[in-house]
Amino acid sequence: MDKNKDVKIRGIGIIPKLVISFLVLSCVPLIFIGYTTDKNLRETGLETIQRAEEMGAKNLMSAKGIGRFAVEDSVRALDEKATEAIEVRTVDLALRIAGFLYERNQDILVLASLPPDPQMYLNVYRFSNRDVIASRPWPPEETPPQPPPLQWKNPENRASWRHHPPHDFRKIRKPLYREFTFIDLKGRERIKVSDGRLSKDLKDISDKKNTFCKAEDYFLNLGSLKRGEIYVSRVIGPYVKGWLQKSPKGVAVAPESAYAGKENPEGEAFRGIVRWATPVFDGRGEKAGYVTMALDHIHIMEFTDHLVPTQERYSVLSDAGSGNYTFMWDDQDQCISHPRDFFICGYDPATGEEVPGWISEAIYNKFMKSGLSLAEFVRRLPSFNGFSLKKPGSRRQGESGCIPLNCRVLDTAPQCRGWHRGSEDGGSGSFLIYWSGLWKLTTYAAIPYYTGLYGNSKRGFGYVTIGANVADFHKAAAITKQKIERNIQVQGEDIKSSTEESRVFIVGALTRNRNLAIGILIISALVVAGASVAISLKITDPLRRLTRGAVAMGKGDLHQSINVKSTDEIGLLAKSFNEMAASVSELDQMKSEFVTITSHELRTPIHAMLLSISGVLEGYSGEINEEVREDLGLAKDGIERLTRLVENLLDLSRIEAKKIDFNMAPVPVAEIVDKAVQEVLLLARSHHHVIMNHVPGDLHDINADRDRIIQVMVNLLSNSIKYTPDGGTLIIEAETEEDKVIFSFADNGFGIPESAAEKVFEEFFQADKITSREVGGSGLGLTIARGIIEGHGGNILCESPVPKGWFPDLPLDKKRKGSIFTFRLPIHIA
Amino acid sequence: MRIRKILVVDDEKAISAYLDRKLTRLGHIVFTAEDGEEALRQAFLHFPDIILLDVRMPKLNGIEVLKRLKSDERTKDVPVILLSAKAQSNEITAGLEAGADRYLCKPIGFPDILREIRAFEEE
Repeated sequence: MDKNKDVKIRGIGIIPKLVISFLVLSCVPLIFIGYTTDKNLRETGLETIQRAEEMGAKNLMSAKGIGRFAVEDSVRALDEKATEAIEVRTVDLALRIAGFLYERNQDILVLASLPPDPQMYLNVYRFSNRDVIASRPWPPEETPPQPPPLQWKNPENRASWRHHPPHDFRKIRKPLYREFTFIDLKGRERIKVSDGRLSKDLKDISDKKNTFCKAEDYFLNLGSLKRGEIYVSRVIGPYVKGWLQKSPKGVAVAPESAYAGKENPEGEAFRGIVRWATPVFDGRGEKAGYVTMALDHIHIMEFTDHLVPTQERYSVLSDAGSGNYTFMWDDQDQCISHPRDFFICGYDPATGEEVPGWISEAIYNKFMKSGLSLAEFVRRLPSFNGFSLKKPGSRRQGESGCIPLNCRVLDTAPQCRGWHRGSEDGGSGSFLIYWSGLWKLTTYAAIPYYTGLYGNSKRGFGYVTIGANVADFHKAAAITKQKIERNIQVQGEDIKSSTEESRVFIVGALTRNRNLAIGILIISALVVAGASVAISLKITDPLRRLTRGAVAMGKGDLHQSINVKSTDEIGLLAKSFNEMAASVSELDQMKSEFVTITSHELRTPIHAMLLSISGVLEGYSGEINEEVREDLGLAKDGIERLTRLVENLLDLSRIEAKKIDFNMAPVPVAEIVDKAVQEVLLLARSHHHVIMNHVPGDLHDINADRDRIIQVMVNLLSNSIKYTPDGGTLIIEAETEEDKVIFSFADNGFGIPESAAEKVFEEFFQADKITSREVGGSGLGLTIARGIIEGHGGNILCESPVPKGWFPDLPLDKKRKGSIFTFRLPIHIA
Repeated sequence: MRIRKILVVDDEKAISAYLDRKLTRLGHIVFTAEDGEEALRQAFLHFPDIILLDVRMPKLNGIEVLKRLKSDERTKDVPVILLSAKAQSNEITAGLEAGADRYLCKPIGFPDILREIRAFEEE
C-alpha cells in the first residue's frame, strides 16, 4: 500500500464511500428490526410476567382468604364441637357424681334398716371400698413404654380407625367411709367405727366441739327427720394452707403449701368428710336413734381430680397451672374440690370456724376499717357484688396462706357469678373468660342430687366446672391453620419463585436475544465492512494504479502499463489506458526522434551551406571581388539567421516536449550576468545603449544550467536592445529573496501594451506589429526564456510601464514606457 | 607539430568531399570515411595526425569510434575533433568525456574548422 502514498485524494475516497454506504444499507435495517423486535419482545415479556405475577398474587390472596375462612370456620366448628364435648363431659360427670351420692343414700337406708351392730358396721366398713388413682409416690416408677395402638384387621374398618388403649393408672383401694356411728336421740354416740376400728371414744355430738373439726352441727337437723328421710352434710374438713408466688412462668405454688396436684405433689392433702344420717326405728316403730356414715371426701374429689378436657382425658395429677382441670363447688358456691387443695373451703380445727374466703384487696381494705373479724365481715358481705377480673386478690390473705375460694365473695373472679347464674335452674353451659392471660373456656353443670338440704335449690349438690385452655383445643384447628398457612406460604413462595424464575428466564431470553441481535449486527457490520472493502479495493486498486500511471505519464514517464486482469469495465479502462499509454509513448518517442532527426536534418544542409560560403568568403576557393563578397554576404547573413531560427525552433520544440536536459550545477550569479552582458555588448554599442550592471558580487550561487541562463539573459537583453530607441539605458539588478534570487532586467524602451504583458511570452508574438525584420528577432526568444526559467522551477514576469524609480533621470512618456522583466531562480543549497 | 595527414569522417558525402578538396588544396593529405567501421580501418591503416569525426553515423557512431581510438596505443595520442549537429550540453559532455580533444557544433564555417586544426599544429 506504500505505492499509494503518491496518489493523494482530496475529500472522501471510494473505499470509505462504499464501505459507509454498504454499512448503512445493511446495518440500518438490522438495527431497526433488532430494536423494534427487542422492544416488542421486552414489552410482551414484561407484560406477561406482570400478568403472571398478578394472577399469582390473586390466587394467593384467594387461597389465603379461603384458608382464613376454612380456619375460622374450622376453629368455630372445633370450638363448638370441643365446647359441646366438654359440656357433655361436664354434664356426664355431674350425673355420675349425683349417682354416686344417691348410692350413698341407698347405703345408709340399708344400714338404717338393720339393727345397729358394731360388727355389722365393721363389716360394712370392710366391704365398702372404692379404687382411687394413686398419685403418690411422685414421680411414679418407670412404666414400660406403651405398645403402639391396635391397628385395624379388616380393611373395611380402616376408614378413620382410631384406637385408645386403656388407661393403666395404678389404683389403691380405699374404704368409702371414715366413720360409722349410731347415736341416740340425745346425740350421744353409742357405736362408733372409725377408720376400721371400733372406737371407745364415744362423744356427745350434740355439742359441736365434740365433732369432726369442731364444725359439725348436723344434730340440729336430725330431730325433724322422718323414716327414710336422709340428712346429708356439707363438706367438712380442716383447711390446709397454701401460698402462691410469682415465678418466671407466671404463678407457682410454694412448696410448703398443701397438695396441689402437679404443682405440689408432696403437699398435705385436704381430708374431709360428708356425713349422711338417717333415723333408725326399733321394732315398735319408734325412733331409736340415728345412724351416720362419714364418707371420705377423697372419693368425691376423685371425680374431679383426674379429669382433664384435653386429649389425655384423664391424668394422674391435675394441673391448675395448665388451665385444663376440673373442680367442684357446693350449693353455697364454696369450693369443695380443686387441684390446689388450699383453695378448698375448710374449717379451723382449733375453733371450728370456717376459714373466710379470699377477697379482693379493695374489699379487704374495707374489712380493715370495719373493726369486725374477717369471718364476720365476710359473712356480711353482699353476694356476687362488684366482681371484676381487674381486681387483685388480698395480699394479706395471700401471705397468711388462708385463701379458700368462696364464689360468693370471690370478687376477683367474675366466672363465679357465671356459674352461679348458669346452675340456677339445674342446667349446664359454658362461657369464655380471659383468666391469667389466657382465654379459657369454662363449663359448668349442676349436680342433680337433691337429698336433704341439697334439695333447697335446683342447683342440687352444687356444680362441677371444667376449665379448658381455648388454645389447647384449638390445637387441632391451630395445627390445621398452621398447615394451611404454611401451605399457602409455600405456595406463595413457589409462585413467587416461579414467577421470579420466569422473569429471570424472560429477561435472560430478552438479553440473549438482544445480545444475539447485537452480535449479528456486529458480525454483519464486520462482514459487510470487510466485503465492501474487498469489493471496493477491486475497484480502487486498479483505479489507483491507473491514476499513478497517468500521474507518472503527466510527469513525463511515458512508459506505463497497468496490470489489470479483470474483463469488466475496469479491465476495459485499464486496457484502453495501456493502449493510450502505448500510443502516447510511441508518439513521445516519435517526438524525441523527430526533434533529434529534425535537428540533424536541419543542421546538416545549413552546415554545408555555411562551410562552402564561409570558405569562399575567406578566399579558400580562390580570389573573389567585392561584388561577389557583398552578394555572398547576403547569403551568409541568411544562413546565420536561419541557423538561429533553427536553434530557437529546436529549443522551443524541446522545451515544449519537455525533452530539454538541464545541466544543473551551482552557478555564480555575477559571473553569468557579466558573460551575458559581454555577448550583447557589441549589439548594445551599435545602438548607443548603456548597460548598467548593478548585480552585487556577493549573492548566493543559484542552482541552474549555466549556459541556458546566460541564454535567457542574452534573450532578455537582446529584446530590450531591439525595443529601445538608440541611446537608451538597460539596467540589470539581482537580489536574494528567501530561497530564491530575483533578477530584474529593465529598459527605457517602447514598452509593452498592458494587454500584452502575458502574451509577450507566446510564440511569434510581436508587439506593436513591429516586424521581426526591423528588430531582427524571431519572436521565440521570450518563449524559450520562459520555458527555460520554468524548467528550472522559477517564474518570469513582464511589467510595463516600468515602475517609478528605475529611470529617475530619463523622461518616460506615452511612447516610451519602458519594460521590466523579472525572473526568480532557486538558490543553490549546499 | 606539423599536420600532414587528416582523416575526415562524415556520413554526408558532400561535406567530406568538400573538406577533402579544401584541405588537400592547402597541402594536407586527406583520408575520408562515411561510417564508423570505415573510420577505424582508415585510422589503423594510415595513422593520421588529426581526425575530424562526425558523431551521428551508421554502423558505428562517433563516440564508439572515439573510445576505440583512445584505448588503442597506436592512436590514443591522435587529436580528435568531434563535429556534430548534436548541440545539447549533455551530448557535448559525453563527447568530451569519451576523450574528444575538441567538440564543434554544426553548422560551422570552414575557416573556423581550419583554425581549430591549426591550433593543434602549434602545440
